[in-house]
Amino acid sequence: MRNNAYLHTICVITISLAVFILSAFALFYINATELLDAWKKGVRVVAYVADGLSAQRMTAIKSRIQALDGVETVEFVSKQSAFDALKADIGEQSALLEGLEENPLPDAFEVRLAQSFVNLEAIGRLAAGIASIEGVDDVEYAQKWLSRFAGVYNLFKVTGLVLVGMFFIAIVFIVANTIRLILYSRREEIEIMWIVGADESFIKAPFYLESLLLGLAGGVAGVVFLYLAYLGTVPNFAPEILFSFYEIRFLPASIWVVIVFCSMVVGWAGCHFSIQRFLKI
Amino acid sequence: MASVGASKKNWKQHSLSSPHKYQIVSLKVNFYTPVRQKIGKLIAIQDGGVAVLIQTPVMSPEKHAAVRVIRVSKQYGQITALSDISLSVFEKAFVFVTGPSGAGKSTLIKLLYMGESFTNGAIIVDGVNLARVSRKQIPWLRRKFGVIFQDFKLIASKTVFENVALVLEVARSRPDEIKDRVYAVLETVGIAERANEYPPVLSGGEQQRVAVARAMVGRPKFILADEPTGSLDPDSAGHIFGLLQTAHRQGTTIILATHDASLIRAHCGSLVRLENGRMQMQPAADG
Repeated sequence: MRNNAYLHTICVITISLAVFILSAFALFYINATELLDAWKKGVRVVAYVADGLSAQRMTAIKSRIQALDGVETVEFVSKQSAFDALKADIGEQSALLEGLEENPLPDAFEVRLAQSFVNLEAIGRLAAGIASIEGVDDVEYAQKWLSRFAGVYNLFKVTGLVLVGMFFIAIVFIVANTIRLILYSRREEIEIMWIVGADESFIKAPFYLESLLLGLAGGVAGVVFLYLAYLGTVPNFAPEILFSFYEIRFLPASIWVVIVFCSMVVGWAGCHFSIQRFLKI
Repeated sequence: MASVGASKKNWKQHSLSSPHKYQIVSLKVNFYTPVRQKIGKLIAIQDGGVAVLIQTPVMSPEKHAAVRVIRVSKQYGQITALSDISLSVFEKAFVFVTGPSGAGKSTLIKLLYMGESFTNGAIIVDGVNLARVSRKQIPWLRRKFGVIFQDFKLIASKTVFENVALVLEVARSRPDEIKDRVYAVLETVGIAERANEYPPVLSGGEQQRVAVARAMVGRPKFILADEPTGSLDPDSAGHIFGLLQTAHRQGTTIILATHDASLIRAHCGSLVRLENGRMQMQPAADG
């Protein structure tokens, strides 16, 4: 171990970079999943109704919406209450609205979806169903944004898995190669051990231990780099504008423990490949 | 000596009626062709690649050979390093294996400690047929041997003490026992005061003494020495040889490969060489 500081450093840095990239993906993936879930939970479909309908028609529309599959609650939002809410929302600038002669907002129904119904196609179908009801002028939900996000997310899910696999193999090779160089640099020592009657476990154990430690060091370093990068970027990201209902979080402890553990397993595997080939005498 | 006598063609056996009671076995080695031609022209030792001199203190027929090599061949690809070698080494014997460079002395030593496997034949060490030893048994078998090399083969990053202790560590001896035995053997070879130094700062002779200590510390049944004095000055060589004799007196079987005829003459009094296919006796150490 004494003479391999350089090799060890290179190996740890390489592993940590791979772990950094991988856990960056994990960070994105986990946040995207939770964001999407949170967004879906909050998803509402708003049905704007035509102006000047009778109370009877309103009730009829409400009950027809209520009858649709997946609808949990339907709440009437009168144009006046919508206007008040808007005023409250824009706060100091509410003076802007004072010039208006009449309330431009339509009456609306706010439709909340049953939890089991929260997926994109179902929302789309439901929205179409609501739109087809007579008296409903327009249906609004964040369809484009949501589907685009979900598209990216799904693409990522597939490519992410492929990337994870590739990085996994790459780390195994890196460690295998490093251990092979270390084995090579110590081949005389190993030969001497053989000659004096060392058994395989006596010779192999230090190398396995070494590669587990390399994996551990690389894994921890990678996660620490990622955390520093996270601290450096996320607060400047102004996420409250985009995701007022969601806060980007760092990897939970359970995940990064798993990442570090995997990094150690990979270290072990890399060592295993090299040592099996190297020690065949 | 029933065990020596399997192949008339390839080895010869002579009993000398000298007071030394040496058993001399000379082996014919088939060199691979280029070397054979070269040696045939240049060196008097023509077709005797390896001459083996076996000195056995007690020669009784009922005593079993500790090492029996029976018609062993070793090939490296197309190259034949050893061809049809047979010899027996009795317990507590001091055996010289000699012959010119390339004759296969080192190969023979390697085959004995299972550093390499042989192509044909059988080697029986202490009743164990090496051809049938499983991979897992090899370490256990190697602990029967202490091996000494011309280039010492010490681990540069370990101290003298650690180098010697390694033998006992691999055998998983207790730490206090390791300490006692290592220091005792370092005393024997006269290098105890340098126990905490690293091999590169020692002289060649000192390094070889450490190597001898390493070979002795496990109290092996056999010590194999492959040109142990090959890179030492005469004084150091004498010292190393003396240590081997000490080990021999303590009951260890020694097999020493050397091309240094003076070493053998100095200690055995007579040497047999093969010259033009005939045995030639040489007189005892000059003067």
